[in-house]
Amino acid sequence: MSAIHLQNLTKSFGDFAALKTMDLEIADGEFMALLGPSGCGKSTTMNMIAGMEEPTSGKILFGERNMAGVPMGRRGVGFVFQNYAIFTHMSVRQNLAYGPRMRGAAKAEIDRRVGAIAEMLQLSPLLDRKADRLSVNILQRVAIGRSAIMEPAIFLLDEPLSNVDAAFRAVMRTELKQLQRQFRQTMVYVTHDQLEAMTMADRIAVMDHGVLQQVGTPLEVYNNPANVFVARFIGAPGMNLLKGRPSESDRGLVVDLGPLGVTPPLPGELASAVRAVRGDVLYGFRPEQVALAKRGLAVPVSFVERIGARTIVHLGDGESAVKAVFENDVGLSVGQTAIVAPPASSVRVFDAASGHAVKAG
Amino acid sequence: MDARTKPATRDEGARLGFRLTLPAQILVLFISAFPLLMQLYISVTDWSPLSGVGWWNAWEMWNSFANYTDLAADTRFWSALQRTAIVMLVCVPAEFLLGLALATLFADDFPGKRIFYSILLMPMMVVPAVAGYMFFMLFQSGGPVNDILSSLTGSPVTIAWLSDPTLALIAVMVADIWQWTPLMFLILLAGLVGVPEDQIKAATLLGANPWQRFVTIVLPKMKTIIIIALAIRVIENFKIFDTLYIMTGGGPGVATETISVYIYKVTTQDLIWGYVAAIALAILIVLSIVAVFAMKRMARAREVAA
Repeated sequence: MSAIHLQNLTKSFGDFAALKTMDLEIADGEFMALLGPSGCGKSTTMNMIAGMEEPTSGKILFGERNMAGVPMGRRGVGFVFQNYAIFTHMSVRQNLAYGPRMRGAAKAEIDRRVGAIAEMLQLSPLLDRKADRLSVNILQRVAIGRSAIMEPAIFLLDEPLSNVDAAFRAVMRTELKQLQRQFRQTMVYVTHDQLEAMTMADRIAVMDHGVLQQVGTPLEVYNNPANVFVARFIGAPGMNLLKGRPSESDRGLVVDLGPLGVTPPLPGELASAVRAVRGDVLYGFRPEQVALAKRGLAVPVSFVERIGARTIVHLGDGESAVKAVFENDVGLSVGQTAIVAPPASSVRVFDAASGHAVKAG
Repeated sequence: MDARTKPATRDEGARLGFRLTLPAQILVLFISAFPLLMQLYISVTDWSPLSGVGWWNAWEMWNSFANYTDLAADTRFWSALQRTAIVMLVCVPAEFLLGLALATLFADDFPGKRIFYSILLMPMMVVPAVAGYMFFMLFQSGGPVNDILSSLTGSPVTIAWLSDPTLALIAVMVADIWQWTPLMFLILLAGLVGVPEDQIKAATLLGANPWQRFVTIVLPKMKTIIIIALAIRVIENFKIFDTLYIMTGGGPGVATETISVYIYKVTTQDLIWGYVAAIALAILIVLSIVAVFAMKRMARAREVAA
């Protein structure tokens, strides 16, 4: 029983509401990423799951069991800290053995379990090393092993890769994902790095300002953002959002983007949903899906960023700024005018007043 | 690299460094080595300020190490040394344990913490001689200590604290503990707040109870600072004088005569300075051995805790 249910969870520090409200179901064995900018309440959520902080209101259930008042040492939760919090005055072996030793396990039993976990994490040759002279990936494995030896049903990871340099992060991500497959625990992973969330998580919970914005698989969150925040936050660069007014034309419903002109007609189902919106909308499309075309939005090129495999073209400025990502150099240069057209199927529309996505059908 | 900016050769650099530090080296030599050599010289003579010759002519009174052989047989010296050891073995552990307990208390927040903190540090700031007078008055037969004991027991208590050989020693130790626990507290608190909070949380999550956390995480992390605190207090306590001298003058009899008091008396009353030099040198050697031992332990502990 290691599913986690968060019900109407809130947390305030004095007047500051760190977590305004949170309802989240995390399934048994799932890898859930809590993703958001700093101060969004993701770490607070995790600390409450771990029992380091008590919720101001609301419930945390592990399976059927209410965790209110259960101290952190008794929750059966493995926690990997941002800096790993390895006991530097001990050896790797002593670090791994710490949990069982504190619970009074027999010497032979501890040795057996340490041996097994070290084998699994390829730490056996390092067991007698002092823990203060280890590289980060080994520290990560020790941190995971130290928690895993307690066989926790739930693993919580607090931005474990944020202290690692970019090149090494890819290695660590792969390793972490493999470890999760090995242990099959429910994992909750807090991060502000969408790449980590996208590559590792089964589902992502996007948070902002103490409010859960959207929960979904990485592709759902990427393709169908629930609101403007998620649309802008997910993706690098984020989704283009252009303010405009829906208007009927002989080709169907289009969005009048003012100086940028008029968009191609919206596809049928989306169009009928958009007709129900009163007021302005935001016309959204992914920079990666922009194609150069003969007909479409004409915008001047303001800046071209070439980053090897991809080229990011910045078009227009201010309210009407559009970014486009091309797989290779497209021969656009500053001062030219590009005519861009997002494919109709990839267009998303948001209600400008509420920020919510307008759902087709 | 440009030839002009090339640094001087290693030899040249070393020579320049030597020349630049020479004045300081001479000064250090003068204030540390000179008195030591002078002391060594006088300690093998019968010289005293009353002997009519300058100390540099003390060789005229060469007594072929008689001071040292006398010292070995001097029971007053040995019992003073023993008393000093007893005071140290009681006071330093007591100050350490009290200081550690207080530091643990003050590592957490509680209402009024800042005020209590200031109050707690006050004894340390009292001039030891003044503290001596305070405790001298507290421990009078008609003093506040007996008053409190009277009101607690309900019958009049008139213990003559400072006139009883055992009680006088206890009173002196109480004064020392009162005055120096704050220093222990301060040093240990600094060490305690330096223990990484994440590691303590990690230990908690792994199921360690507060006592286990203290023994397995906090104490090992504080090892270096504990050794420093103990070393400071052992050395200082060995030299215990001001408070004690004002409270009891080393008495009754010689009941509270520690090594410093003994040396003071021999110096000012008996005026046999050759002998004083010999005692002081012997103690210096003992203390140096203690210090070297402590430093070694410290270096090893740092290696382990790093």
